[in-house]
Amino acid sequence: MENEIISKELEAALKSFEAKNNQVPEGYFDQFEMNLMRKIQAEKNAPKQAKNLSIFSAQKKYLVAASLILVVATGYLLYDKGNNKLIPQGELVQIEALPDEVIEAYLNENEVVAEVDWNGAIEAIVVEVNLNN
Amino acid sequence: MTDQTLIIQFQAGDAKESAFTQLLKRHRESVFFQIKKMVIEHADADDIAQAVWIKVWNKLDGFKQESAFSTWLFRVAYNETLNFIAQKKRIQGQIKQSGQDLEIEPASNAESLNESQIQIKLERAISELPEKQRFVFMLRYYEALDYEKIATITGTTVGGAKANYHQAVKKMTELIQLD
Repeated sequence: MENEIISKELEAALKSFEAKNNQVPEGYFDQFEMNLMRKIQAEKNAPKQAKNLSIFSAQKKYLVAASLILVVATGYLLYDKGNNKLIPQGELVQIEALPDEVIEAYLNENEVVAEVDWNGAIEAIVVEVNLNN
Repeated sequence: MTDQTLIIQFQAGDAKESAFTQLLKRHRESVFFQIKKMVIEHADADDIAQAVWIKVWNKLDGFKQESAFSTWLFRVAYNETLNFIAQKKRIQGQIKQSGQDLEIEPASNAESLNESQIQIKLERAISELPEKQRFVFMLRYYEALDYEKIATITGTTVGGAKANYHQAVKKMTELIQLD
């Protein structure tokens, strides 16, 4: 028996501890029972709260994934639609449909584009190709 | 009438209250004193014991009698006591943090001014034991339960329960010998 290893000093203290802790006021347990049964009755009579049941609790993770996909897809569609709206369809004009005078006037007004040194650029490419060979 | 018969009666729904009160009368003292040895304060022990028996009332329908009723009952008491102690520690921690550094001494210390020094030392030693060791020690020493039952109650192995008991004895012996 493991209790045998307890020293006499400790054993005496433990006995005294038990004697002290096993004291209760007179009639305590009868009162305890009455209080307890009253609490239980009150609990029984209290209206029961409805449990929060979730129909989709088992499929929660799939629902979360589907929601995320929906959000991303909606976002993409809205963004794409927005991009297309940058130039309204009615304002697009085919270059072939423009009269020559309008094109010439545009080139004159935008000299940077008009004055590109095409010959110089072509020569530079030819020199580079020759060097590589 | 055995505990088993009373439980069957309770679960069948006939004379539920009578079956319950008989179980209560049979076990209320052992449960209460076990709890009181853990928390010392009478009012605390009373609160915990009430919570334990309310839980028993609510859960007894689902009790499958795979263990003895007393083992199951002590397990409920063990869990409720640990919850209570943890909650009390949290509250004490909050009080200290908020600057209201009230030294909450066990009432027993105040009461025990006239007690022998050794008794005061023992109470201090017991309060310094980890809860599991304390519970195991009380069940073994005062209730004389076997280690298998203690292991089931405290959710440990037989070896673990034995180790807890020996550790508790060792610590208490050391602490009461300190000057």
